[in-house]
Amino acid sequence: MIKKFRIVVDGKTHEVEVEELGTVTGNIEAPMERVPAPVYDQGQAPTRFVKSGAGPAPAPAPAPVVQAAPAPVAAAPAAPAKAAAPAGAGDVTAPLQGTILAVNVAAGDAVKSGQTLVVIEAMKMENEIVAPSDGTVASVSVSKGQTVAAGDLLVSLR
Amino acid sequence: MTTVKQQEMLDRKAQLRLGGGEKAIDRQHSQGKYTARERLERLFDPDTFVETGLFVKHRCVNFGMEKKEAAGDGVVTGYGLINGRMAYASAQDFTVIGGSLGEMHAQKIAAAQEAAMKVGCPMISINDSGGARIQEGVDALAGYGRIFYNNTMASGVIPQISVIMGPCAGGAVYSPAITDFIFMVQGTGEMFITGPQVIKAVTGEEVTAEALGGAMAHNRISGCAHFACADEDSCLQEIRALLTFLPQNNNETAPQYACTDDLNREDEMLDTIVPENPNKAYDMYDIIHSIADNGEFFEYQRYFAPNIITGYIRLNGRSIGVIASQPKAMAGVLDINSSDKASRFIRTCDAFNIPLLTLEDVPGFLPGTAQEHGGIIRHGAKMLFAYSEASVPKVTLITRKAYGGAYIGMCSKHLGADFVYAWPDTEIAVMGAEGAANIIFSRAIKNAEDPAAERKARIKEYQDTMMNPYIAASRGYVDDVIMPHESRKYLISAFESLQGKRVSKPLKKHGNIPL
Repeated sequence: MIKKFRIVVDGKTHEVEVEELGTVTGNIEAPMERVPAPVYDQGQAPTRFVKSGAGPAPAPAPAPVVQAAPAPVAAAPAAPAKAAAPAGAGDVTAPLQGTILAVNVAAGDAVKSGQTLVVIEAMKMENEIVAPSDGTVASVSVSKGQTVAAGDLLVSLR
Repeated sequence: MTTVKQQEMLDRKAQLRLGGGEKAIDRQHSQGKYTARERLERLFDPDTFVETGLFVKHRCVNFGMEKKEAAGDGVVTGYGLINGRMAYASAQDFTVIGGSLGEMHAQKIAAAQEAAMKVGCPMISINDSGGARIQEGVDALAGYGRIFYNNTMASGVIPQISVIMGPCAGGAVYSPAITDFIFMVQGTGEMFITGPQVIKAVTGEEVTAEALGGAMAHNRISGCAHFACADEDSCLQEIRALLTFLPQNNNETAPQYACTDDLNREDEMLDTIVPENPNKAYDMYDIIHSIADNGEFFEYQRYFAPNIITGYIRLNGRSIGVIASQPKAMAGVLDINSSDKASRFIRTCDAFNIPLLTLEDVPGFLPGTAQEHGGIIRHGAKMLFAYSEASVPKVTLITRKAYGGAYIGMCSKHLGADFVYAWPDTEIAVMGAEGAANIIFSRAIKNAEDPAAERKARIKEYQDTMMNPYIAASRGYVDDVIMPHESRKYLISAFESLQGKRVSKPLKKHGNIPL
């Protein structure tokens, strides 16, 4: 079956003929998703601890190694982290809204990286706010029982 | 015996391989940066990198450019082996007119992308460029556009890794942004749409390039980058390590390595890791390391949204993507950033046939106007969408809390988890006992002779009735309640049983994830 169409471009009329060859019928099958069969590789898994570029690492010891968990804040290399901190370099702020359950440090205290400074109760959880680095407490801005908003200054270190 | 023409060829190549010349190379080194070729030598297995397009030249005749020689047009492209597997790469050469991108420079990168797609292998793009070559005008912009288009076409087909080892500013950032993984080197890598000078002129803000768009700015604050590395050597090693967890393309699975760790290994430490007081936190990293083969965990976006942990482990030598609540950070809540982080990771895994392990201890979504007005509804929805859509094997282990919408969202049976396991401490409920008792028993508490005592009794009643894994298990929403020390073997067994998983989905062009 031939269908005719008229198209007007820039004031000029074009006639277009289209022959219809029939419509596509029938079901189009939904594709099956398949996770392909595993590729077996007899090699040893290279680990992230490989130091040379020489490919797979020597076999790790079969005994399970439970590594110390990296502290998300403290693990940051110092220089760029400081530059990127939104508040002052030594300012520790509340990550979320809550109530101060405990203040474990006072001005003048020396603190170690990872040491708990303040505990905030939020979401029915005791959230320990830890020192991002070693230092001395310059000032404590909150007291027990006080409500804090996310981003409020808790403790300044120097 | 070398003929004159052969010698000419060798001389030409030697000259081109010098890039911008000794002086420029020294300057690059003095900034703690390798040259483009040095980077590629370290990224690939020794003596496997084969360069393509060495003789490509720019065609610009504007503003004196016709007199300017630019070796390789400021970019090195080619292929080679990484851990014995094929990969393509491009590395911008800052020593050649600042690594600026012109028409032919872009054409070389695009050709490498297209070749990687053709053979189905990863594409790694090392960025170190002053930006568009302004003398080339729209030809440079067209070049960027073609690279972005190729990035999009390759997305979900081959793993794409971007490496920021120098400036990557303006429109150039959108190539990395479209790719699967962004590595940044601290101190030298920087990404921004508008730099410090423009910001100062327009808004008056003063900010350094590092604070604005350095590695930690994007790894910690914006979430635009996934890995921060102290230097270029460690960065290139991390890329090699990442690739061991990935398949070559979306039609393959990641390589399985011989597992040297006991598949039935039990860890008694897990039986005591969850504190008796449900308000106390513990460190989810300890659980991840305990379950994984050899305790090895390759973390993705370590510094962004630490309330959810994402990364790769191996179980029986097979690559597994882990999404885990972290009770130690912000109580392990779901919020805008953690939802975005998890959703992107889930989709990256699903695209490349990497099964998903979810470790759940989630008290709910974070309340507050900042979250609601920031769009937690649509951000949280991404996670539900991503989990539901994922057709790879999905196994969930609930270690403690699974409350409300967050219970559903963290890969519950209802979103298609193949197996859900729970530890005996598990509390699955619409909300915490206190809140629930206050609502259900509000009248009884108000009318009681001693409302405080009644309240306490009712909270206990709710707790005893609802806050456990057994009601969910009685409905089949939890497949089994297991001893924590048995977790590794249960999980390995579950993933092994799912090797042949097939999912059929309705035919569609693509879903419409709420972005």
